[in-house]
Amino acid sequence: MSTAHVLLGLLAAGPRHGYDLKRAHDEQLPRAKPLAFGQVYATLGRLERDGFVVASSPERDGGPDRTSYVITEAGRAHLAAWLSSVEPPAAHVTGEIFSKVVVALLAADDTTAHDYLIAQRAAHMRRMRELTAAKTGPNATTAELIAVDYAIGHLDADLQWLQTTLRRVAGPDKE
Amino acid sequence: MSPGTLARLAVAGNRTDVLRLVLTAGSTGVATVALLAAATVISVQGYADRYTSALLAEPGLRPGVSIALVLVSLPVLALAGQCIRLGAPARDRRLAAMRLAGATPGESVLIATAETAVAGFVGSSTGLVAYALGRQLIAARDHFGRLRLPTDVLPPIPVIVLVVLAIPLLAAVIGAVLMRRVIVTPLGVVRRTRSRGPRPWPGLLIAVGLVLFGLPLNWPDGWHRPDWHLPARLSYGVLGLGVVLVMAGVVLGTGWISHTVGRLLRRYGRMPSTLLAGQRLITDPWHGSRTLAALLVAVVAGGATLGFREALATDIRAQRSGGSGLGAEPEFYFNAYRLVLIVVGLSAVVAAAGMLVALAESIVAGRRSYAALTASGVPRRTLAASVLWQTLTPLVPALLLAVGSGVALARLFDTHPPAPVPVPFQSLGLLGAGALLAVVLAAGAGLLVLRSSTDLEELRV
Amino acid sequence: MEPLLNGTGITRSFGPTPALRGVDIDVAEGEIVAVTGPSGCGKSTLLHCLAGILRADSGTVTYRDQNLGLLSEAARSRLRRTEFGVLFQFGQLVPELTAVENAALPLLLAGSGRREARTVALGWLDRLGVADLADQRPGAMSGGQQQRCATARALVTGPRVLFADEPTGSLDALTGEQVLGEIVQVARAQNTAVVLVTHEAKVAAYADREVTLRDGVVDATGLGLGMRA
Repeated sequence: MSTAHVLLGLLAAGPRHGYDLKRAHDEQLPRAKPLAFGQVYATLGRLERDGFVVASSPERDGGPDRTSYVITEAGRAHLAAWLSSVEPPAAHVTGEIFSKVVVALLAADDTTAHDYLIAQRAAHMRRMRELTAAKTGPNATTAELIAVDYAIGHLDADLQWLQTTLRRVAGPDKE
Repeated sequence: MSPGTLARLAVAGNRTDVLRLVLTAGSTGVATVALLAAATVISVQGYADRYTSALLAEPGLRPGVSIALVLVSLPVLALAGQCIRLGAPARDRRLAAMRLAGATPGESVLIATAETAVAGFVGSSTGLVAYALGRQLIAARDHFGRLRLPTDVLPPIPVIVLVVLAIPLLAAVIGAVLMRRVIVTPLGVVRRTRSRGPRPWPGLLIAVGLVLFGLPLNWPDGWHRPDWHLPARLSYGVLGLGVVLVMAGVVLGTGWISHTVGRLLRRYGRMPSTLLAGQRLITDPWHGSRTLAALLVAVVAGGATLGFREALATDIRAQRSGGSGLGAEPEFYFNAYRLVLIVVGLSAVVAAAGMLVALAESIVAGRRSYAALTASGVPRRTLAASVLWQTLTPLVPALLLAVGSGVALARLFDTHPPAPVPVPFQSLGLLGAGALLAVVLAAGAGLLVLRSSTDLEELRV
Repeated sequence: MEPLLNGTGITRSFGPTPALRGVDIDVAEGEIVAVTGPSGCGKSTLLHCLAGILRADSGTVTYRDQNLGLLSEAARSRLRRTEFGVLFQFGQLVPELTAVENAALPLLLAGSGRREARTVALGWLDRLGVADLADQRPGAMSGGQQQRCATARALVTGPRVLFADEPTGSLDALTGEQVLGEIVQVARAQNTAVVLVTHEAKVAAYADREVTLRDGVVDATGLGLGMRA
């Protein structure tokens, strides 16, 4: 589970509180879904149970819960193992758009398929324009750029695939 | 566009462009010296026994010397015209880029011709300086107090100014004429190509030139001779115009010759090299005219000189057998002709050098197609053979035409010789063979360029 | 509002091959419009017609009440060095001139003094981060630096429209993105309209809107395909 690995990675730089971890996560992975507090603590609990982190003594400086977490040797080993293992490229093609386009081309009438494709492309372009605007904005951080690049790259891949598929199906310049 | 900007853009260039500037300036410089010398000789008044050479002393001989000097300047000027083509692909790209940046079509032609004019002006100014210095250096008198050269006479100042200004102007006009088929668009340079091949019309130029040359000398007996006398200068002008027309006809006629030879090669050639050469000749029939122009002009001049010499020899033989005067120092006249022939030979060498440059340039310009042919397995030997075929096959008929036109000019000079003048086949053959040899040597040197141009690296440029 | 640049019914053929078969397009002041479509759809030809580099066979191109079709070649050239900037994939710099001379070229052609033109051009090179290369020739620069220099030249006269044809097509992804980002940023700051020709959705995403061509006509679906609507 990669949230656990991200938290381990953040802790590798030094001990942090739960709230700190959430903020660091949202900063470093800006375009990812923000972490909920509940999820942070649940994940930390699992990591503690597996012996990858330990909770250090709470600092009593006024805040209600200032438990900070420290990565253990086992935790570092676990993180290193994860980082050095290759993610196998997906064995099966999955994706809502993939299925939908194929079904649209197979099952739907021309108008429905066509309308869907136009709308889907427009939606992708709109999103890409937003992301590009965010990227060229005045105060984009490196983390933001990395995340936006990832998102744009995937949208672009979708669009290219969409276009290629349609040309394959339509054939060259059918009039 | 300010004059400063024009000058900066005109002289912007790479090494090839610098070479072109130097060659243009050099050849216009030599032409200036030759024309100033011609003007000096013609400016000498009356019988001038202050000169060691009878060529300069006799009023009747001086126009001949003058004409010979003008003739010599023509191949050199032709070389200047040839230089304009040097480095054309790079210049075309440059002009297109300037058009894209907002230069108007007129400005792009102006930039291109300004470059030639600047180089021509540098050349003619240098020529003027060389002429002035030369006068000082060779002004020595012998112990009779006679001069070797007319260093004591200056042509009228307006004439000097005219020569110094007219030469760059002429070079620029030649440049503009050469550019007229070139349309510089912002997207690149388009050469307006004729859909039809060249026609043999330049033959007419040769005919008209011969008539112009022959007319003042041989007014037909039956015709009413106009009462007014043609002023001497004007008739020299008509003579000169005739010569220029004949030379232009020979140079332009080479286009038709190339095209025809190309068609024959393609129809009857059975080797890949002849097919390649034939197609290239048809695609660009003017290539020969461009590369060979100066050489052909020199050969016309050489042919004419040999013809004159033969006429003189016949004349002397006739007078000897008739026992009359002139025969005292025939060697002197032959020396004079020898001098002219040496000058013609020198300009032929200049021309061959120019041809080498032009040939190398055309190979470099077509390097992508040469490299692509090599890459697809055409042996270099075949390519080299095709370059030789392409250069030599149109050359032989063109040389015959040039030699023939030259001799024809000479024979028109005196149509009623005292004895029939034989055609000096032997020396004409030597002249033609010499020119051929020069071209073979230049083409051989050009093939060295082919070797480096067929490197597959060239495909990447 | 009256558009800054308008094309109506533009057609253009090359020999027997039609490249544009009646294209309508509007570009407003300061707007960035991407022209997209598959190879051979006529997008470059459209850009050339709009910029007055090519003359349309029929139809009209109007820039601020001037019909480009009625202007002479020379007048259109002058428009290109004052009102328009042009940026291509490559080959637009004069290889024999230095970066600053290249950037100053439109000013020089328009008759500015050399010193003054140099100062303005240096300012633009600086703005695009290549001022230290001012006295280098294009051959000594990387592709990205050349495109920055070409951008400086295209913008040096403060044009109202910038025509960019695959301006980052010959650059790697990151360099292309940086150059494109700078172009867009500067254009927005100057309120310069941009006509951006590209076949990449990623590049088109820099624009405010997109016009897709297919077989020489505008494809309203944006798909660039011959599907029945």
